Amino acid sequence: MLTIKLFGMVKMLAQQQKELSLDLPSGQTVKLLVEFLNAEYPDIGDLILKKKVLVSVNQEIAHPDTVINGEDEIALLPPFAGGA
Amino acid sequence: MSVETEGAMLVRIQAEDFSVDEEINRVRARSTRIGGISTFLGIVRDRSKGRDVRLLTFEHYEGMAQKKLREIRERALQDFDVIEVLVLHRFGAIDIGENVVLIVVGAEHRADAFKACEWCIDELKQITPIWKLEETPEGEVWVEEHP
Repeated sequence: MLTIKLFGMVKMLAQQQKELSLDLPSGQTVKLLVEFLNAEYPDIGDLILKKKVLVSVNQEIAHPDTVINGEDEIALLPPFAGGA
Repeated sequence: MSVETEGAMLVRIQAEDFSVDEEINRVRARSTRIGGISTFLGIVRDRSKGRDVRLLTFEHYEGMAQKKLREIRERALQDFDVIEVLVLHRFGAIDIGENVVLIVVGAEHRADAFKACEWCIDELKQITPIWKLEETPEGEVWVEEHP
């Protein structure tokens, strides 16, 4: 079971849950993760497909072909808005 | 203070407010070769895209946000002719007029300090996983874009 960290407006779309759990087999790609997400959370999946929300793996921005392993730290990152 | 602890003090994400003077002095104390220090201080304003703002709340990705700020400091030290760089960002609820972010760059000469300081804040906005929730009279809004 993969745990996915949520922030900002993505967390809001998931009813303020800080994390989601997805039953994705180890060794799959970010592309498949997004397909799984899109099936269960279409609002969030849509934002990822439009590239408004990025996927990170182990604290680095991932690409569709990035491979995910069981212990990896996954997060969904809405557009950054740091600074003042 | 050990080198490691001092390094950690130069890149921070914290809830508490900070003293600009103390942070400038932290950079000043790093080297007597420093001849100029430039700073960027970001504070909360009460207006955003035509809306009144009452309060800002910043959220960050613990771990990745610190990692990206460390990368910014290291790249600034590598790519510009500067001596020391401090990058500090607050999280949590911050009132109008209060401090949000501070960049302090010490260099031998002003031109390099100015250039590196501007690059650091621009890069911070691009690559650091920090999000901003605006509380307005119409409700709460997660900010999606920034200039």
